[in-house]
Amino acid sequence: MDLLIESFKAAILLILAWDHELLAIVGCSLKVSGLATVFAATVGLPLGFLIAFTAFPGKRLTLTCLNTLLALPTVVIGLLVYTLISRRGIFGSLDLLYTQKAMVIGQIILIIPVITTMTIAAISRIDKRYRTTALTLGANTRQVAWVVFIEARYGVIAAVIAAFGRVIAEIGISMMLGGNAKGFTRTMTTAMALEYDKGEFILAVALGIILMSLAFAINLLFQVFQGRVGSDAV
Amino acid sequence: MLYKIKKLTREHQGRIILNIPELVISAGKITSLIGPNGAGKTTLLHLLAFLDTPSSGEISFGSRPVRFVEKELHPLRQRVVLVDQYPILFTGSVYKNLEFGLKVRKIEKKRRSHLIEEALEMVGMQDFIHAEAHKLSGGETKRVALARALVVKPEVLLCDEPTANVDSENQEIIQSILERANGREKISIIFATHSLSQAQRLADKTVILKDGRPSDLSRENVLPATILGQNEGRIICRLHNDVRITVPVAYYPARTSAVRLFLNPAKIILTRNGEQALSHENLLPGKVVKIVGGNGQIKTTVDTGVPVDIFISLPEYARRPPLIGEGVLLSIPDEAITIE
Repeated sequence: MDLLIESFKAAILLILAWDHELLAIVGCSLKVSGLATVFAATVGLPLGFLIAFTAFPGKRLTLTCLNTLLALPTVVIGLLVYTLISRRGIFGSLDLLYTQKAMVIGQIILIIPVITTMTIAAISRIDKRYRTTALTLGANTRQVAWVVFIEARYGVIAAVIAAFGRVIAEIGISMMLGGNAKGFTRTMTTAMALEYDKGEFILAVALGIILMSLAFAINLLFQVFQGRVGSDAV
Repeated sequence: MLYKIKKLTREHQGRIILNIPELVISAGKITSLIGPNGAGKTTLLHLLAFLDTPSSGEISFGSRPVRFVEKELHPLRQRVVLVDQYPILFTGSVYKNLEFGLKVRKIEKKRRSHLIEEALEMVGMQDFIHAEAHKLSGGETKRVALARALVVKPEVLLCDEPTANVDSENQEIIQSILERANGREKISIIFATHSLSQAQRLADKTVILKDGRPSDLSRENVLPATILGQNEGRIICRLHNDVRITVPVAYYPARTSAVRLFLNPAKIILTRNGEQALSHENLLPGKVVKIVGGNGQIKTTVDTGVPVDIFISLPEYARRPPLIGEGVLLSIPDEAITIE
């Protein structure tokens, strides 16, 4: 118990002192996860919208596959991307392994299904009458899609927030594809694992506090947007 | 001619929900579609609004057959607007809602404002121009939805039960809006309703739908009955409160004890105290409980144990108007009765 209290006190002091190493690690985490979320949203949002908005043969199978991908372990993604970007992989010449780019690629794969499925859910919840109303008022397909998107916007934003929450807390991909290189690819989760291995708990606890604070803020945002969806649906 | 329908069917999950051999709807008129729930009114409106595709048959719009492909439907939808039974307003202000149809038609901003103000004034909602749409009441929502449809100056306005679930004040307002839209703006109007009196008040023509087919049966005086037996070549039907009506055996369609009787209100004869009742098998005494005017005739409701509506022509009504509470006798000739 003393160890935890002592580590906690030291961690708070470390955060308040704006420790350079701590900030570098947090910065790396935010940058990698932020970029992964942006790129994944660029793919996942239109994909989710398209799947929800159109009827096509095999739609149910597509949804089942996407739901299955939600359970994809990070180490499996790490392994898959590793085989592609390692020296002997087909993208080996790009020299991506143990870079932030590799981590971003892995994290994109992790959260595209999250964003896509949550976007599908958000769009599907929107009353069909929005679509028919827009159509009968003379809108073309693109304009109808925009109307539906606007009505589903809180749900869509919630999808992006949830995806960011997922990648900021993952460790498998960052470790396998980033390599935990100090000052380059060390993220909050990989740094915490390393510090634990070393028996140094102060930095690990400080990072834990920041990660939990971020998770709390993300969940708070998520709740705010989900709440808006609920109140708008009335 | 506005619409011409030929051999139109619409199937849903293998069941034919609409089957119209032929129907012509005139331009510039108000046409009502009347029928019970599930009669196919909404389906027909959606087809006429080009929001749904027929399973077979043909719809001509303005004498041109409609090809149900998206490329051809989009320009048609810019000429026809449907207002849903439960209209939904987009998130945002009333102004933004009305602006939508104008924006998609690329009307310039200055003109948009003018048209929006004009349309809101027409439905009496000008004070709500900047109100949040989702904060409006049911009646206000319907009026804004009507304004949103009218602002784009459509050739045809389709309304699915425009006065359903609104209070009587808003019902009156909505009916007046439809009359003005047709009279002043020359918009052809087709609306679905359950109420024959509303249809009679507003419509130049009424199409009765029953089980997805046009029918010549009125929806007034639909009375559930039980067959008690036969007597002297007539079937004895017992209605609510033990009111009895007999019909010729030949009318009896199936060997079931639970039936529905349809009494044509135009063919029932009302006889007052002191007058000689016409000789009919079915004479029902009762009291006048309601008198409603509109569309060239008077609808009088007589409580005979079951409420029975009858239509009286204006000259007849002027000659001797029935009074509320007055005791009368209804003569129901066999040709006024349909049994199923």
